[in-house]
Amino acid sequence: MTVDKGNKLARASLDNGSGGKLATDPKLDSGSQKRIGDQLRAMYDELMQQPVPDRFRDLLDQLDKNGQKGGSQ
Amino acid sequence: MTLEPEPELREALLAAVPSLRAFAISLSGQVDRADDLVQDTLLRALSNLHRFEPGTNLNAWLFTILRNLFHSEYRKRRREVEDPDGSYAGRLKVQPGQGSHLDFEDFRSALSQLPSDQREALLLVGASGFSYEEAASICGCAVGTIKSRVNRARLRLASLLNVDDIDDLGPDSMTRAALQG
Repeated sequence: MTVDKGNKLARASLDNGSGGKLATDPKLDSGSQKRIGDQLRAMYDELMQQPVPDRFRDLLDQLDKNGQKGGSQ
Repeated sequence: MTLEPEPELREALLAAVPSLRAFAISLSGQVDRADDLVQDTLLRALSNLHRFEPGTNLNAWLFTILRNLFHSEYRKRRREVEDPDGSYAGRLKVQPGQGSHLDFEDFRSALSQLPSDQREALLLVGASGFSYEEAASICGCAVGTIKSRVNRARLRLASLLNVDDIDDLGPDSMTRAALQG
């Protein structure tokens, strides 16, 4: 009678433990970690490969000229 | 302060722009806003050049500036940015580069659901190529904190994206096991 309840309690506390509270955060297995990492880098690489908007080149050119004229502002 | 970027520095700053943009876009979810952040970062870097220690990591310094700008702005615009209904994810649609047809929508949407501290930690370590130590210095926190945030970010992404095997760790499998047992 009480055995069953005891088991449920044990499971419940295990569940809480897996929620990632303190000392023992669960870790992903390496396969899943790799898949996440691959997707992240693929998404990021796509962003990195976008051409640099002209505004940044212009901005730095501008400052460059100002600098050579002996300071700006 | 006078602004006199050396040609080399100008090149170095320009070279840093793609990674700053990628970080800013992934962090903020908006290309326009990300570009403003990058521009502000460059301006601030140039006016604080005297604070940069030559020989140290320029990229890490620039990322620190960008991250701080993002957070101070974020605090101001919190209401606008909080995203319970996933509109952030909608804004994350970046015009894909020519010829690229990769489908990152699911991933972006999952990324947008992470708390921002976890998102930035994962982006710095998992995508931008910084070490845990560098990421900690960029975020102004302990190395252990970064490790924990990265780990949590990965777990959360795995469960949002239904990456295989994650169930073994989650409550779902426990419940299932309990039901089956």
